[in-house]
Amino acid sequence: MNEELVLMLEIQDLTSKAREIESGELGDLEKAHFGIEPATAVKALRGKAEKLMADLRPNVRGRFSQLLKRVDRAVVPVIDGTCFGCYVSIPTATAGEQNPNADLQTCETCGRFLYILV
Amino acid sequence: MQLTELFTVDSVKLQLESETKDDLLKELISLLGLDNKSEAILFKTVKRRENLGSTGIGKGIAIPHCRSLVANRLRLAYGRKPGGIDFNAIDGAPVYNFFLIVAPPLEVSNQYLPVLGKIAQFAKDPDVPDLLLALEDPNEFLNLLEEKSR
Repeated sequence: MNEELVLMLEIQDLTSKAREIESGELGDLEKAHFGIEPATAVKALRGKAEKLMADLRPNVRGRFSQLLKRVDRAVVPVIDGTCFGCYVSIPTATAGEQNPNADLQTCETCGRFLYILV
Repeated sequence: MQLTELFTVDSVKLQLESETKDDLLKELISLLGLDNKSEAILFKTVKRRENLGSTGIGKGIAIPHCRSLVANRLRLAYGRKPGGIDFNAIDGAPVYNFFLIVAPPLEVSNQYLPVLGKIAQFAKDPDVPDLLLALEDPNEFLNLLEEKSR
């Protein structure tokens, strides 16, 4: 799998978790059952995400950052040939490759980075 | 959705072999049947959650959990480590029982948080730690889960 795709997935996981903790329910569960202080956890998650951003090439980081300004998820799965960002079908040539996540690919319709679930 | 519907016999292992926290998490993740690269990504994500604070909730039980794009649906696994290992649990005691919960970032049915809450409640039942240690077969685990979830 493409290393930058892996990085972006990690960054997205971190920021999603921070957002979910901030939004309340997960933060409440983490505090009640696991003794996690939500504010501290959010700070740690966002800090780690920022550090990982620096490992992306400038052009990829720029595009990823721009996407994150307008959508919650800049990397989305392709399931059964459909982009789960905009729900438009992906050309067969993109979705059916032997090692489909070896190169960075974006959706021609919405521009999001694609992670093809096989 | 019943908790038992989220486990399969293949995702239950009563004789975990790992001796360290990292190896045990990897072994637990392997019960989900993902490809190697997905397992590696998931391990990093699970570890990152552990770095925020151990998911060892005490009384020999831990509930590693996270969301990850490598999961195409809510996935659960249970593993038991005879003898237990140090998992930096809240009570400082060894952990014997591990419940892994992995959910995709986007869920139509949004089951992740309710399931995390249900597993935590199940694990906190005072009878459960001893009942888990007495299990002899994965099917007994599913039966116990069903019985306690009623």
